[in-house]
Amino acid sequence: MDYVPHDLETIRIMLEKIGVENLDDLYVDIPNNLKIKALNLPEGLPESDLLKNLTELSEKNHIYKTSFLGAGSYYHYIPSLVDSIISQSQFFTSYTPYQAEISQGMLQSIYEYQSAISRLTEMDVTNASMYDCASALAEAATMAFFVTKKKKILLIEGIHPEYIETVQTYCWGRSIEAEIIPLDELDKKITDEIAGVLIQSPNFFGDIEDINQIAKKIRSKSNKCLLIQAMSDPTCLGQLNPPGKIDVDIFVSEGLGMHPSFGGPNLGILSVKKKYMRKMPGRLVGLTKELHGEKEGYVLTLQAREQHIRREKALSNICSNQGLTMIASLVYLISLGKTGLKDVAMQNFQKANHVKQAISQISGYKILNTKPTYNEFMVKCPNIDKLIKMCKDENILPPLRLSHYFPNRKDEILICVTELNSKEDMIKFIHIAKEAAQ
Amino acid sequence: MTRELLIFDKGYNAVKNNFTPKMDIERVDFDSILPKSLQRNEEINIPDVPEFEIVRHYVSLAQKNYGVDSGIYPLGSCTMKYNPRINEVTARLPGFLKVHPLQEENEGSIELLYNLGQSLCEICGMDAFTLNPAAGAQGELTGILIIKKYFEMKGIKKDKIIVPDSAHGTNPATSVMAGFSIIEIKSDESGELPLDQLEFAMKGGDVAGLMLTNPNTVGVFDRNIEKITEIVHKYGGLCYYDGANLNPIMGITKPGEMGFDIIHLNLHKTFSTPHGGGGPGAGPVGVKQDLIKYLPCPQIIKNESGLVCVEDEGSSIGRIRSFWGNFGVLVRAYTYILALGKNGIRKAAQNAVLNANYIKTQIQHKYSIPYDRINMHEFLVDAHLPNGVNSEDVAKGLLDRGIHAPTIYFPLIIHEAMLIEPTETENKRELDKFIKALLEIYEEAEKNHEHLKKGPYNTVIGRLDATLAARRPHLRD
Repeated sequence: MDYVPHDLETIRIMLEKIGVENLDDLYVDIPNNLKIKALNLPEGLPESDLLKNLTELSEKNHIYKTSFLGAGSYYHYIPSLVDSIISQSQFFTSYTPYQAEISQGMLQSIYEYQSAISRLTEMDVTNASMYDCASALAEAATMAFFVTKKKKILLIEGIHPEYIETVQTYCWGRSIEAEIIPLDELDKKITDEIAGVLIQSPNFFGDIEDINQIAKKIRSKSNKCLLIQAMSDPTCLGQLNPPGKIDVDIFVSEGLGMHPSFGGPNLGILSVKKKYMRKMPGRLVGLTKELHGEKEGYVLTLQAREQHIRREKALSNICSNQGLTMIASLVYLISLGKTGLKDVAMQNFQKANHVKQAISQISGYKILNTKPTYNEFMVKCPNIDKLIKMCKDENILPPLRLSHYFPNRKDEILICVTELNSKEDMIKFIHIAKEAAQ
Repeated sequence: MTRELLIFDKGYNAVKNNFTPKMDIERVDFDSILPKSLQRNEEINIPDVPEFEIVRHYVSLAQKNYGVDSGIYPLGSCTMKYNPRINEVTARLPGFLKVHPLQEENEGSIELLYNLGQSLCEICGMDAFTLNPAAGAQGELTGILIIKKYFEMKGIKKDKIIVPDSAHGTNPATSVMAGFSIIEIKSDESGELPLDQLEFAMKGGDVAGLMLTNPNTVGVFDRNIEKITEIVHKYGGLCYYDGANLNPIMGITKPGEMGFDIIHLNLHKTFSTPHGGGGPGAGPVGVKQDLIKYLPCPQIIKNESGLVCVEDEGSSIGRIRSFWGNFGVLVRAYTYILALGKNGIRKAAQNAVLNANYIKTQIQHKYSIPYDRINMHEFLVDAHLPNGVNSEDVAKGLLDRGIHAPTIYFPLIIHEAMLIEPTETENKRELDKFIKALLEIYEEAEKNHEHLKKGPYNTVIGRLDATLAARRPHLRD
């Protein structure tokens, strides 16, 4: 099937108006030796066959009944209205709102998103342009370079390994040095030559860092260096002190209200202090008024930072406006409201803590976190293969083997517990952990 | 001044919604889990709004937004074609939607990614594709970093990239992100790249590559394309194809045949995935055999044991984002390719070209067409209308007639640029409506230009003050 509406007669009429005889005549500029006869692809399929084909393919993925896996992608309950709203056709079939007067719906939604995230994080300015947390962190590192003109950044151990690699790729591009250091070496590494310190909290291993103390430490050594906080799962902000209250300069995270979908699409949250607004990459929406009237409305603004105006002098090449994932995040936040957001965060804290305490009581297991944790924590296991096999047998998506990212850490796992894990799930998992230790 | 209520104005004091599961374990003292000093100590400033009000609020906002479903959306260089609904269904199949990126039982996803990569190789004449890049711009960055890595590994210092003056702004911006500086070459009077200037630039010896869109951003196919890639290769450079304009040539010719070494695609343009208000898209990158080892990780390869995922083996440019890319977008594009098949893909291209040329021939007695040849999927208008009416005024005149405007003020080489791309999915009635509107606007420019200059009038809001927005940024509530 195809989605071309014309019949042959219509095509004939149009060709006649153009003044050529057939469709091939439209390609006179392409040298004949470059033209191909036919693509080596199958014939097209009707919709019913497509659905059958894709359904069969999708069923080759196993979907577990419950999960104890996170590590950068989290299962949370998503209110039904989120998908209903992102399925509104004028949202999902529109593009970047260049023509403001017929795009007020998307523009106001972006403005509301910018406001909602800024309210949640207590940061000044937020945009909806980044692809995911990893690349948003890389853009934040670049931003620190543009603010300070210094070509070195520090990454604190405990950042998601995939984020670190992404930051390294971007930094290599611009010849920015990226050094990975343990947190306790921060003191002696901070100088005025450092553009920014990148830290994740809660970090990849689950630790919640005392960002406020880290900020004080950085400020005491340098008045230039920026503090950049990454966070994989922003639902913790329902209970955790927000970055804007603990002197973070740039905050990055991942969107909300989306299913894992094998890791994407999602959204990179990027929020900054007001003084860095003009060094921020990506689209921003601002409130303004009519030229010839008194009504207020929204437009894309501060575009002088961007590639279509600045070209090689732009702060980034980014031009996406993650409209649909932005709306999913916004509607998720508004659906839960302050009450729901606090509740989700509290449930994650309590349930993960419940499993953590129970596992710590089982002989042979050791909790490796020494700092407070949110919905993830790492555990040294007596028999990791048995534990993982037993989980799968019970239709539970098992925790992450840390050896996936750190080959030496063969007997350690990263357990994730969210509000979606019921009491029965937890009992079953704890039971499996006991059995696996035997 | 008046403005629409924000969602924050619709809050209630009492708790309204109940989405989270019932708490089914006994709580412990929260301070014992998280010390007070790390706890949030102020209320979250996000209201509790009843579900129905939220739905009404956003449905009402959606209604104030123009999408492809509303009518022709002729944004040049953006390929705003119909977004087939089956794509939305397949991307939401539970086996795709709920699969975790780190789970081991992911055979369906891996097979889909591999098959999609193979199809794109066939369509583009490339040897391997990475599907990781999250957008066209990230695809460009990936491609240019591959060029950087290629020369780094060979120990050759080349630090310049050639970009025509008609290029998308992302091309020069991307090159700088990869540490290159730019040589800009001015297009000739037919909109093509002058070979003598290309050769002159390449002779400098420090040029790593050329970034080119073909058909280019004035909508014509560069007839010298083989000579262009030959010259770049002669001096040791690589040729990068910006796939923003692939739509009119798929199934007709292949960038790989033209001599390109690297290509990025915008699946949200050519392969019908929704633009989603500006994202998420996907920007896969294809390369020729010699460059496969530089592709970002992870990659999927086929060997004797079947499909396997490989990480960096030392020559990759590294990782450019987390996990596997915008998988949900990739499912949609794959569905589209399966739907069209070999004939449908070619037919889509031909009809995109037909529609663009049809509009052009119907308005060129009034509108100036600076590069007047048989165009590809889009054509450029220099919108100097009578009485100083410019492309922005024409754009607003279209909005008043219930039609989305073309891309305006791009490419930068024409002062009053208006780039028109109807796509193949528009029917003749819709094209005729668009043509009629443009001709009416021309007439209005002659007879009543003052009225046109102050439009639009029929939209939910009048022309907005962009200068004020930038001077006094008001970016949140």
